[in-house]
Amino acid sequence: MRKRSGRARRFVPLGIALVLAAAHAPAAESKVQKFMAGLNFDHFSKTVVWDGDTGSSRLRASLVSARTDFGFGKGLTLSLSVGLSLTDFEGLVFGTLPITLEYDASPMKGLVLGAELEALLLKSGDFEIKTAGRFVSSLGMSKTWPLEGFAVEGEAKGRSNWMEASAGPRLAYLLSDAFVPYIEVNARWLRADFRMDETLGDLQGHEKRLAKGDFSFSVALGGDARVSDRLTIKAKAGFIPYAGGVDALASVGLLYVF
Amino acid sequence: MKLPAGRFLKALPALLVLLVVGLGTTDGGWVKQMKRGDRLFRRPARTLRVERLALRRGPRYAADRVLVRFKPAVADAYAEGLLRSYGFSSVRKIPRIGVYSVRTSPGVSVAETLAMLRRNADIEQARPDYRARLADTPNDTFFVQYQYSLRNRGVVLDIRDDIQPQTTAGADIKATPAWDAAKGDPETVIAILDSGVDMTHPELAAKVVSAGRDFANDDDDATDDNWHGTHVAGIAAADTDNSEGIAGVAWNCKILPVKVTEADGTGFYSWIIDGIIWAADQGADVINLSLGGDFDDPFLEDACKYAFERGVVLVASAGNDAGSVLYPAAYDSYVLAVAATDYNDEPTDFSNFGPQVDVAAPGVYILGPAPQWFVGEASLPYLFVSGTSQAAPHVSGLAALIKSLKPELEPAEVMKIIRYTADDVNASVDRGRDDHIGYGRINMERALAPYILK
Repeated sequence: MRKRSGRARRFVPLGIALVLAAAHAPAAESKVQKFMAGLNFDHFSKTVVWDGDTGSSRLRASLVSARTDFGFGKGLTLSLSVGLSLTDFEGLVFGTLPITLEYDASPMKGLVLGAELEALLLKSGDFEIKTAGRFVSSLGMSKTWPLEGFAVEGEAKGRSNWMEASAGPRLAYLLSDAFVPYIEVNARWLRADFRMDETLGDLQGHEKRLAKGDFSFSVALGGDARVSDRLTIKAKAGFIPYAGGVDALASVGLLYVF
Repeated sequence: MKLPAGRFLKALPALLVLLVVGLGTTDGGWVKQMKRGDRLFRRPARTLRVERLALRRGPRYAADRVLVRFKPAVADAYAEGLLRSYGFSSVRKIPRIGVYSVRTSPGVSVAETLAMLRRNADIEQARPDYRARLADTPNDTFFVQYQYSLRNRGVVLDIRDDIQPQTTAGADIKATPAWDAAKGDPETVIAILDSGVDMTHPELAAKVVSAGRDFANDDDDATDDNWHGTHVAGIAAADTDNSEGIAGVAWNCKILPVKVTEADGTGFYSWIIDGIIWAADQGADVINLSLGGDFDDPFLEDACKYAFERGVVLVASAGNDAGSVLYPAAYDSYVLAVAATDYNDEPTDFSNFGPQVDVAAPGVYILGPAPQWFVGEASLPYLFVSGTSQAAPHVSGLAALIKSLKPELEPAEVMKIIRYTADDVNASVDRGRDDHIGYGRINMERALAPYILK
């Protein structure tokens, strides 16, 4: 009960951000005033403590996605993306399987889906404050490894998924039409799971590792640069501090304005 | 901020898009124990001093440092300048082998740094600075010199002037690397169904959970009046890393003494049956039976089944007659039958054989504790003994370590792990499972240490 209410509290900032964004949305029937499409590359590392572990390990993800931005006017933008993810779970141990397995393989592939909603809250002089909420989900593809050196044949089959939600305000400086730098602070929540099936002759095991993720905050600097009438580059880099270190995030996108 | 309800409702579709896109007696038989003993006379034994190891599982390599070697044609000055141009805060050369240790730039991961360096045509190799660890070696006096079964370094076993066999390096059960993964849980108990246990022996005094039970004399004092049980108990779980004597396979696991034979080393099936059931009811996790009889007996089998179904792993010696596997070892469904190999990983000529043999373990010149009254005051309270009786407790120790690490595993699963992780040491003669050593000589490392997915 206590746990549940704590978890619920974590979603409050996300909820507020989304509601604020929605409150500032123009009429749903608004026509799309601006449409952009392009490619996006995202990378982040996140230190997570998997359930049952006493220490932390790092999850690293790289995403390449096709992205479309719908501008509805009045500063409201909806972005949808679909693409591929590569996620590294180095050092993750599956200790309850009959034979303990430790992940030290190449990153796992996955299908990534994302959505981002951005809305203008306030504009004053050369500054504007926006709020943005983002959700990304990676649906992992299964991978099989042969288990060698045993008296019988064996294999391990793994599959991982993760999702991350983030939301927070963004302060932009309207430097020029060509370049708008900004700083954003985000509340972040990450959930990841990794299912591993082990078969060794007639010996079988299944283990699911789960990381509900600690609630964290990130600070990022970014900028939207219009390189031509039709081309826009969106880039940002930031860090996610945690007790004992920092994780990093970076994103760059090239968008064509239709 | 005032939120106009109409606008909120109008924005609901946008929110929905975001949410949707984004988420068991008989007196019929008797058993026997083998006796092949050589006393360990008071010969000079070096006291080992091995520092305890503190390193445990952690990052595989330094998080802020990589090692780089340039191609031979690249001058040192150019190489150092190039490294500094990458913004590395510290560049240190290891001159003799031409390798640079560089500290990575803040915020740049080792993987990213390596990827960057490997793109440079002047660089021959760029590698992580991997973390090494000291092998977890116990400081027991006789471990290095005599306990080849746990870690065989290919030394001469200096047992007696006329017994000095040359051993083969690596012909062991890989105990030291396995101890890094598990040394056993004090809550995990190995019942030793044998001649009793010398509960005052320095190797065992701190390891016995109680005075046990004596089914031969029908009392609650399982003190050893032979020597066999003391020896077997020590192999499985002697007090380890205590700066004296020997190391046990299961460092931290406890011993439950159950006396089922008389002083002459023989006992009735009924005593064994009682012992198995009693040990299971006492909560033993593993039962070691370094004994056996020639006769199949359904009541004995039922006792094994009783313990097995209560989560107990049963391990028994195959026997030393170069004949058929003894009972209860031959109860294939419930008991791991253990044959013996030697210091060269060769199957022994005395070990019983048959389709019931599951695995093998070292069983020649195995050093273990013995009651002081048995060896005499002139000798240290240890014996070199050969037999499948000595092989079985190696396997029991391993079973206890597995149960310590993964208590949720069923006995059948533990048995399979022990079988499938064994080394097929006679593969050149008999590939795969065979009737002499079963799946092979046990390999503790493979059974306990993590398998790395590459």
